[in-house]
Amino acid sequence: MGAALTYTEAELVTGLKARNEKFFGYLYDHYSPALYGIALKVVVDETLAGDVLQEIFLKIWRGIDRYDTDKGRLFTWMVNIARNTAIDTLRSKGHKLGQKVQEIGNNSLIVDQLAVHPSVDHLGLAKVVEQLNKEQRVIIDLAYYKGCTQEEISKILDIPLGTVKTRMRNAIIQLRNILKQI
Amino acid sequence: MDVQRYISSGIIENHVIGLVSEAENREMEAAIQQHPEIKAAVDAVQQDMEKYVMMLAKKPPVNLKKQILERLKENTAAEEPVTPIPQPVASDEEIPVIDYTPGTPVSPLKIWQYAAAAAFTLLVASAVMNIAYYTKYNDSQNQYASLLDNQASFTTEKDSLSAQLHHVQEELKMMKDPAFKWIKMLGTPKHQGNIATICWDPESKATYILAQKLPEPPPDMQYQLWAIVNGKCIDAGVFATGDLAGTMQKVKDVATAQAFAVTLEKKGGSQSPSLDQMFVAGKVAG
Repeated sequence: MGAALTYTEAELVTGLKARNEKFFGYLYDHYSPALYGIALKVVVDETLAGDVLQEIFLKIWRGIDRYDTDKGRLFTWMVNIARNTAIDTLRSKGHKLGQKVQEIGNNSLIVDQLAVHPSVDHLGLAKVVEQLNKEQRVIIDLAYYKGCTQEEISKILDIPLGTVKTRMRNAIIQLRNILKQI
Repeated sequence: MDVQRYISSGIIENHVIGLVSEAENREMEAAIQQHPEIKAAVDAVQQDMEKYVMMLAKKPPVNLKKQILERLKENTAAEEPVTPIPQPVASDEEIPVIDYTPGTPVSPLKIWQYAAAAAFTLLVASAVMNIAYYTKYNDSQNQYASLLDNQASFTTEKDSLSAQLHHVQEELKMMKDPAFKWIKMLGTPKHQGNIATICWDPESKATYILAQKLPEPPPDMQYQLWAIVNGKCIDAGVFATGDLAGTMQKVKDVATAQAFAVTLEKKGGSQSPSLDQMFVAGKVAG
């Protein structure tokens, strides 16, 4: 972050497809915190998150030719790679459902992040933590960061299977309302 | 399609967060292509989630950047954009294969294969030994046959030798026997140099001739011995020449004789001698 020059997304994609190292350096500087944040949120362990981040960038490097600008923004594409890679790692480690719940339900993780990392959007996150109720936050995080299925979420939150999607929608709408205020 | 209803159904939020089935996902992709409003709604939710992601962003450890960029360089140098990941997978797959093989019990098919191989080997060995033994058997058979031949020829030889020996012994007996008279017949004036000897026992009347030297007769002729009594010639039988000339040949018994003579007659002998064909003759001594 804080690189003197900036590129448009189109320029960046062209540079990356040309396998230009300068563009990858730029990409890393600008996006690695977001992607590392995803990895850390999913796998929790910092060393493992570092390995996952390497894997994410390798996949971006190898897959950039398959990235189609018409299908969506570069960041959306990278976020999906990061989530899938991290969740796959979590599954390969044989993470139990109980662990996921514990990690997600742990408020101190977010509080810890607020306290220690100045780069994080303090105000935004604080507002989200404050205004999104625990169940709404947990339902989003279980699906988005742990790759839980409807059935798993139904079990964890002890809610009927049929209401999972409705509650998910409400949680995301609530998240959007909070984000609008920021 | 009621786009507004679709948008408010909650499928968009659940799609973005990853909580829809594969079928719903495909339906969503198609809807995004067809309806810009739906695409906009999806983008909006995605951006919300990305904002949330950005809130949780965290700077990775500083040494990671160098490490990752170097790995990317190695990856470019290797120039294998599609296949590098399967390496650990391939080794994982190899292990069960290696583990599995020794644990596998030998299948019945294998057993039959081994049995067939063993049977074939035994058959070949047996055939080789058969040939070897048959050859030996043939050799032995031939040796046995030749030994039998030898034995037969030895027996024949022995028989002939013992016959000869018997004959010689008989001759010796006659020579030693004082009863026998030896009458030497010398060649007539026409046949000078010819000699034959008579061995005669007047008492037993046994008569033998030894044709020491007589010319070989023509094929249709034969020598005949005559006993001469008071000027009369009495037939004493025919005798052979050739191989038997050197031995004592028994002829007809002779009761009385003053002289003996040998003439050449037609084969089988004659009633009366052809006197002009007399070869040898000799008088009985007093």
